[in-house]
Amino acid sequence: MVDRYWLIAATVVYLGSAAWGAFALGARRATSTPWNDSVLLIGFILNSIFLYERGKALGQCPLTNLFEVVAFINWSLVLTYLAIGPVYRMSILGAFTAPLVFLLNFLALVVPVDVPVSPHHLGWTLEAHAALTLIGFGMLGVAALAGLMYLIQEHQVKRRSLDNWFYSLPAMGRLETVHRLVLKWAFLLFSIGMLFGFFIPRQTAFDWVKVFWSAFVWLVYAVILLAPRLVHMSRKKAAWLSVTGYIFLLLTFWGINSLSQDHRFNNPVPAPSNPAPLATRHQEVFP
Amino acid sequence: MTPHVVCGGLSFAEAPVELRERIAFQPGDIPVALSAMKDEMQLREVVLVSTCNRVEYFGATDSPERAAERWPLFLKNYHVLEPGIRLPSFHYSDESCVAHLFEVAAGLRSMVVGETEIFGQVKNAYEIALKHGATGKWMNRLFQSSFAAAKAVRTHTGITRGSVSVGSVAVELSEKIFGELDGRTVMVIGAGDTSEKTARSLKSRGVTSIMVANRTHERAEHLARELDGRAIRWDEWEQSAASVDIIISSTSAPHYVLTREKLERMLKVREPRPLFLIDLAVPRDFEPAVNLLDDVFLYDIDDLQSIAQRHIDERHAELEHGREILKPHVGRFCTWAQRQQEIERLGQLDPNRFPGGKSA
Repeated sequence: MVDRYWLIAATVVYLGSAAWGAFALGARRATSTPWNDSVLLIGFILNSIFLYERGKALGQCPLTNLFEVVAFINWSLVLTYLAIGPVYRMSILGAFTAPLVFLLNFLALVVPVDVPVSPHHLGWTLEAHAALTLIGFGMLGVAALAGLMYLIQEHQVKRRSLDNWFYSLPAMGRLETVHRLVLKWAFLLFSIGMLFGFFIPRQTAFDWVKVFWSAFVWLVYAVILLAPRLVHMSRKKAAWLSVTGYIFLLLTFWGINSLSQDHRFNNPVPAPSNPAPLATRHQEVFP
Repeated sequence: MTPHVVCGGLSFAEAPVELRERIAFQPGDIPVALSAMKDEMQLREVVLVSTCNRVEYFGATDSPERAAERWPLFLKNYHVLEPGIRLPSFHYSDESCVAHLFEVAAGLRSMVVGETEIFGQVKNAYEIALKHGATGKWMNRLFQSSFAAAKAVRTHTGITRGSVSVGSVAVELSEKIFGELDGRTVMVIGAGDTSEKTARSLKSRGVTSIMVANRTHERAEHLARELDGRAIRWDEWEQSAASVDIIISSTSAPHYVLTREKLERMLKVREPRPLFLIDLAVPRDFEPAVNLLDDVFLYDIDDLQSIAQRHIDERHAELEHGREILKPHVGRFCTWAQRQQEIERLGQLDPNRFPGGKSA
C-alpha cells in the first residue's frame, strides 16, 4: 500500500535521529539540541500521516495487524518522549528513544506482517480497548528507557567510573522522577484499556491466555509503582523490573497474541462479501 | 603613529602570593588607578584586571615600549613599594596580547585550568573600565571578542568538565545521585577539616539540614554552629542516620564505624532511596562492602582525590584543543585591528577623506 511509504520515511528519519544521538554521545557533544527534537518531531509527523492514511483506508483505528500495531506503539513512544523530553530538559532520552522506534519500525517493515484484513466495524469499546492499551505500551517503553538510563548512571556512580556516560546522562534523581511519572500515566491508560476489554460484546468465553498474560504484566507494573512505599524494593530493582518487564512484553507480545483466541494476528479474513460472525470479528484487533 | 593593543602584568606563574598581594587593587580603587595609568603609561584606553591570581592591564597605545617600561614604575608608585623591588612582569603586544587575553578569559591560563570564575572577573574589570570612560573602540572590541572566544572554548571542549577538589567532587556526585540537593539531609560524623569543607560545599548547593555527631559533644556543637546545623549525641547517630541522604565521616576510630551488617539493619527501617556515604577518614570508617548494597554509594578519600586529579589531567589535555578554537577568534580581531590601523594611518595623511583616523 502507498501509505507504507510514510512509515518508511518516518523510519529513515528515526534512523537519522538515532545516528545523531550515537554520534553526539560518542563525541561528548550535548544531545540537548533543538535540532534532534525537531528531527524526532518530523518522524512523528510522518508516522502520524501513515496512521491517518491507513485509518482512512480502513475506516477505523488502524490496529488490524501487527504492522499497524507496531507503528501505533512507536507513535505513542515518540509522542511520550516529545511530551516529556523537552519539559524535563532530557533530550538524551530522545537519543535512547530513536534507536528503539527505528528498530521496531524496521522489523515491522521487513517482516511480512502487513497482512490486509477484511473491513468490518469493530465497535467503540474494542477500538478504545486496543488504542488505550497500545498507547500505554508505548509509554511503558519510554519508562523502560528512563529505567535503562537510570541503571547505566547507577552503574557509573557505583563503579566510580565517571566517564562520558556519567556526564551525558542526567542525574539519577531526575531519571527516577521521569521514570515514575511516565510509568504512572502508562499504567493508568493501560488499566483503563484493559477495563474496556471486559465490556467488548462477545459470544465466546473469556480469552484466558490473554487475560492471564495481561494480568501478569499489569501486576509487574503495579509492584514497580507501589515500590518503594508499599513494597520494599530498591530503586535499582524497580528500574531493572521496568526494563526487563518491557523486554518481556516486547518478546511475548506477538507469541501470546498468536496463542490467544481473540487477538490472533495471522488469520486475515479474505472475503469482504463473507463477513465474519460476531465471535470472530475482533480477532484482528490487538492487543 | 598607530595604536597597538598591549598588556602586561604579574600572575601566579610569575609572582609568588607574597608579591601579588602587595600589588593587588581593591575594587574601589580601580577607577583612580585607570586614570593614573592612562596618564603615566600613555595609554589611550585601559582595562585593569586584579584578582587573587593576577594583576594585569590591557590597553591601546601608540607606544608599546613606553607602556611596558612605565608599568613597573606605576605599580611601585601606586602601591608605594621599595624602589629596588623586582616585579617579574610579562609584556605582550598585538597578536600575542590578544591571544593572551582570550586564553585568560577562557580559563586556559588559570591556576585551576578551566575554572569559570575568571570569566566573570575579566568581564567585571571591563565593565568598570567602560563605566569610567577608560575604554574606546579598541578595548570594547577586544573584550567583547574575548567573551565570545571564551564561550566557544567552554562549549566545544571539556575544559570546564569535572570537579577538581574533594569537596566539589563530592557535590558533583551528590547532584548526580539526587538531582537537586534542595531538602536533602546530611550527617557529619567526626569533626574533621575536610568534612567541614565538604558539608559547607553541599550546603551552598541547597542542602537544608545538617546533623553533626562527634565523640566529644562540645566539638559537635561547635561544628554544628559553624554549619548552621544540629549537634546530636554520639550514641544517637546510628538511629538518626536512617533518615539522612548523605553521610560524611572523618572519625579517628581505628575500626569501621559502619559495617555492612549494621547498614543492612538500618536500610530495613528506611524507605528505599539512595544513600551517599563519603568516607574521608584514614583508617576508613565505612566497610568497603557496603558499596555492594543497592542504593548505597560509597566513596573514600582516595576515590575522591583520584577523581579530582583525573579531572585536572583531562582539563590539561584539553588545553591545546582550546587554543586551536581560539585561533580564528584571534585572527578575526587582528584582521579588524590591522584595518583600523590602516584607517588611522590614512587619516593622519588625509584627515578629510579618512575621518575615522581622528576618533581614536
